[in-house]
Amino acid sequence: MGYLSKASRTLRQSNYLSLLCSLNFNPLTNRITHGRFSVTRELFCPQSRQYSTTTRDKSAIDLSQYPPELVRNFSIIAHVDHGKSTLADRLLELTGTIKKGHGQPQYLDKLQVERERGITVKAQTATMFYKHSVNGDDCSDGKESPNFLLNLIDTPGHVDFSYEVSRSLAACQGVLLVVDAAQGVQAQTVANFYLAFESNLMIVPVINKIDQPTADPDRVKAQLKSMFDLDPSDALLTSAKTGEGLEQILPAVIKRIPAPPGRSESPLRMLLLDSYYDEYKGVICHVAVVDGILRKGDKISSAATGQSYEALDIGIMHPELTPTGILLTGQVGYVVSGMRSTKEARVGDTIYHTRTAVEPLPGFKPAKHMVFSGLYPADGSDFEALNHAIERLTCNDASVSVTKETSTALGLGFRCGFLGLLHMDVFHQRLEQEYGAHVISTVPTVPYIFEFSDGSKLEVQNPASLPSNPKQKVTACWEPTVIATIIIPSEYVGAVITLVSERRGQQLEYSFIDSQRAFMKYRLPLREIVVDFYNELKSITSGYASFDYEDSDYQQADLVKLDILLNGQPVDAMATIVHSTKAYRVGRELTEKLKTVIDRQMFEITIQAAIGSKVIARETISAMRKNVLAKCYGGDVTRKRKLLEKQKEGKKRMKRVGSVDIPQEAFHQLLKVS
Amino acid sequence: MLKSTFTPIFWVLTPKPNPQNIPSKALTRNFFTNSTPLVRHNASLNPATPSTPASAYIHLPFCRKRCHYCDFPIVALGSASTQTHLDPRVSNYINWLCREITATKVNQPASSTPLQTVYFGGGTPSLVPPALVSSVLETLRVKFGLCEDAEISMEMDPGTFDAEKMREMVALGVNRVSLGVQAFQEELLRSCGRAHGVLEVHEAIGVVKSCGVENWSVDLIASLPRQSSEMWEESLRLTIESQPTHVSVYDLQIEQGTKFGRLYSPGEFPMPSETQSAEFYKMASRMLSDANYNHYEISSYCKSGYECKHNFIYWKNKPFYAFGLGSASFVGGLRFSRPRKVNDYINFVQNLENGLVDSSGDGHIQGKDTAMDVVMLSLRTAQGLDLRSFQESFGGSAVLSLLEAYKPYVESGLVVYLDEQRRTIRIDDLNYSFLNKPNTEKRVAYIRLSDPEGFLLSNELIALAFGVIDSWKDCFPYQEAEAT
Ligand SMILES: Nc1nc2c(ncn2[C@@H]2O[C@H](COP(=O)(O)OP(=O)(O)OP(=O)(O)O)[C@@H](O)[C@H]2O)c(=O)[nH]1
Ligand SMILES: [Mg+2]
Repeated sequence: MGYLSKASRTLRQSNYLSLLCSLNFNPLTNRITHGRFSVTRELFCPQSRQYSTTTRDKSAIDLSQYPPELVRNFSIIAHVDHGKSTLADRLLELTGTIKKGHGQPQYLDKLQVERERGITVKAQTATMFYKHSVNGDDCSDGKESPNFLLNLIDTPGHVDFSYEVSRSLAACQGVLLVVDAAQGVQAQTVANFYLAFESNLMIVPVINKIDQPTADPDRVKAQLKSMFDLDPSDALLTSAKTGEGLEQILPAVIKRIPAPPGRSESPLRMLLLDSYYDEYKGVICHVAVVDGILRKGDKISSAATGQSYEALDIGIMHPELTPTGILLTGQVGYVVSGMRSTKEARVGDTIYHTRTAVEPLPGFKPAKHMVFSGLYPADGSDFEALNHAIERLTCNDASVSVTKETSTALGLGFRCGFLGLLHMDVFHQRLEQEYGAHVISTVPTVPYIFEFSDGSKLEVQNPASLPSNPKQKVTACWEPTVIATIIIPSEYVGAVITLVSERRGQQLEYSFIDSQRAFMKYRLPLREIVVDFYNELKSITSGYASFDYEDSDYQQADLVKLDILLNGQPVDAMATIVHSTKAYRVGRELTEKLKTVIDRQMFEITIQAAIGSKVIARETISAMRKNVLAKCYGGDVTRKRKLLEKQKEGKKRMKRVGSVDIPQEAFHQLLKVS
Repeated sequence: MLKSTFTPIFWVLTPKPNPQNIPSKALTRNFFTNSTPLVRHNASLNPATPSTPASAYIHLPFCRKRCHYCDFPIVALGSASTQTHLDPRVSNYINWLCREITATKVNQPASSTPLQTVYFGGGTPSLVPPALVSSVLETLRVKFGLCEDAEISMEMDPGTFDAEKMREMVALGVNRVSLGVQAFQEELLRSCGRAHGVLEVHEAIGVVKSCGVENWSVDLIASLPRQSSEMWEESLRLTIESQPTHVSVYDLQIEQGTKFGRLYSPGEFPMPSETQSAEFYKMASRMLSDANYNHYEISSYCKSGYECKHNFIYWKNKPFYAFGLGSASFVGGLRFSRPRKVNDYINFVQNLENGLVDSSGDGHIQGKDTAMDVVMLSLRTAQGLDLRSFQESFGGSAVLSLLEAYKPYVESGLVVYLDEQRRTIRIDDLNYSFLNKPNTEKRVAYIRLSDPEGFLLSNELIALAFGVIDSWKDCFPYQEAEAT
């Protein structure tokens, strides 16, 4: 079930020691590199931080000094908030990659959304240099301890972004599996462990936050043993807050995680990990060099598109873009190749030297879109602006699918597919913050399949596209399901079982992690968990539940289309598809909610929920009685003017269906009704 | 001659049913697919005579104390101050006021357009000693001239004047009194923070009538906190019984920064509900109409011929001067508001004297802005919006866009379309046609809001027109339009 299959086999740990001895350090090369490097830094990275490394020679960014044996690629994976990004900070500081206390906390969380929400959304790579004394013996034989090049990838913890984790793992040979010493193993710990395990990666367990008063590392060790068969003595105990135990991490990375297995002498093969658009440089690709060597100026081709490019600028993230002119086997870095759009940069693609014959790397399974929703410009006329914003943002978040659609209520817009609701939320927020677009989003829906009496099938990503009174009878409907993992303190088992069965869940597994924690697996309709399931779960378990899911098969279900009508006119953007047993409740909730958010107008408004031609819920908003300013003292009309203009502006921002003005808020509010 | 180069499109009456006619729907679509009509430049149609104001508003800001609902620029003198002739705050202010009048730039000599209306508003103008009022009137007379029969109004509060003071004011030329009664219930007056009681109200009415002021108004406030419909009915009844020629009914607005603003929110107890306050409005409209008052503007009623001429200047979007603290003038197309704080105001007057500021405009204003003002002000009146002059100023398609927008509200009875003879046009008789068809006299000549339903929703309805005007494609600056 793994999202990816790794092409490489792990290298034996013992091999690299013998190779270390044959390294030679050329002082001349070093000096030349130094000169060139300082210039390029100024030219290309004006805003990159001043850094100091623990290596003796600051100029040592000569990547040719780092054969695969001296390279370690690892990801930090964990459940949400267990301290991945904070731990990454400490490691960047420890290696002098960033200055202690200078950057913001969670340095690698660069997006505004990440900073505001305190979560990681996008995996980030940083290259560090670390001088490691072999066998703890610090140069007593007069020989230099070798420098290691370490690639750290900080990954998101939230389930929506597990795709980011999968991609990151493809560039790694090992992971730091971070577990909060107080919370212990949680749902995403399990999910991420399996991602790493199935990719054959070396797993280094790190029990973090041991400074907390409720920390119980022994219990966590026992959990790791019972759940994952990880040896308790392998676990490192750390506090990313106080710094305790941090010094063991990088030595453990070097000792336990194998060097990248690729072959320097083979033709170049690079895995395209990620891409984003930079206003000045254009498309920037993150790549892992699996085999061979990439030099600046090389002609390279994409296996997916067959297009050729020139490697105009290459380098590493240290932690900002730092040109190196070369990338060697096993290294992770960036390439600027004059691609015009990130559409040309297919994540998972294999890049190779033009006119060489290589076997493409396996790549990744495409991201699966779990929820769909319509995105419309909040101010009707701004379609072009929204179009532009979405185009730009999808350059940096390729995991969103976008197709144009039209709604009678909302006009021209887009149907977008997201990895989950948080992903959708983050996408909206980024559209607003980074591109200044204001959007109305329709109620998220999952992709259903309807079969009609003539045998035809329709995949429905937009409920409005399903006819309310179809000519052909619907003979069957299917809905997507997920396999959910829920971990909870055992006293909440009863409450959780009740919740899950309300959500039409089907129990697959029920066991205990230890004496206090239950582990449950359920098959649940995706629709049931999309909107408010996690909040509900947290509230009935006082916040102690953790929850993760992976997509699973479609199952047959009894589904109906629920229309919302205002003064008899259906509002296409408000249509939903619901399970027939819930139609009445949802219909009532939707109409009640709309009644509270639609303002009174100069006429009565009826709000109806209907299945086909059958009305199942109805509310009315009585006509407004009075809105008059019976006062116009001293001819001061400007004040009144302003007031009326404000009112007019308010109206302009509303969406009109028939004669009814619907505030944009109404669409936002509907999101909250499941 | 310019007129003929445009094809004026008009809504006219067509005998119904008329099967030969192109279905009105189809026509409608043709006219309105382009929902953003072009508005033409028409300075030449509306000869550029930025008329010189013939009206002046004078702000006399003094009050004994601030009422709980008031957010106007006032100066509270203290409850004991009924004798204000010794108060230097008053005489100093009048001095600055006169200096402002004198320093104001005018284009014409005093004789050409003497003032036809003067309005002393406040504040409580009746607190100001007649001698000082006299000096203001004298200054106006010197500066602008003052018609023999000019309407000179003064807002007066019960408890601030006696028969002697009233006679002195009349002798100065004050010929219209606007009496700030507000309510006839002791508890309501007290809870609004009024400085007078019911007894003073009756006394004041007696004084006004006994001094022979023929043209006078009772001002009432509806929708006060804890006001019951019985109380409101009583106030209206007592008002009618005292036989003023004019009644103003203001609706309490809860303003931010006032005591009421801190205590209450609209529609919530003890404020009357929206439904209740709509009922108050309707009750006033019904009772006053039954007593032969014309509801000639949203908040104004009068016996035939006793409209407030000064206020009509506002509603017709005509220019007027304004002097004094916080007052707003409209001269040369510019709406200009004076500082609301005394010190700032004094600075302003000094700057005016030094020629550093100018309170009048150059006559150039944005067409859309004017269109909005015209619509907003004229729809407050029973006469409504005169489409002939609106078309002359803004073009036929501008008129059509309004007619189209209001059509549903004609159907629901909030808006009324009238023909040239001010007869109501039935909705089924409406159709599109061209003006060059013969039956021109049957076209829609006025749009007005219905009384009371349309007036009650005037903000909504006017905001609707704003939306329409806003979407006009283009509007050139032009000289001036009056809602005649
Ligand atoms: N007490 C204590 N708090 C820590 C420690 N490490 C991290 N934290 C805090 O835990 C919270 C989450 O830390 P992050 O580093 O953002 O966690 P994360 O795993 O990157 O979170 P996601 O990226 O959202 O999955 C922050 O408030 C940190 O300050 C630790 O060792 N001790
Ligand atoms: Mg993080």
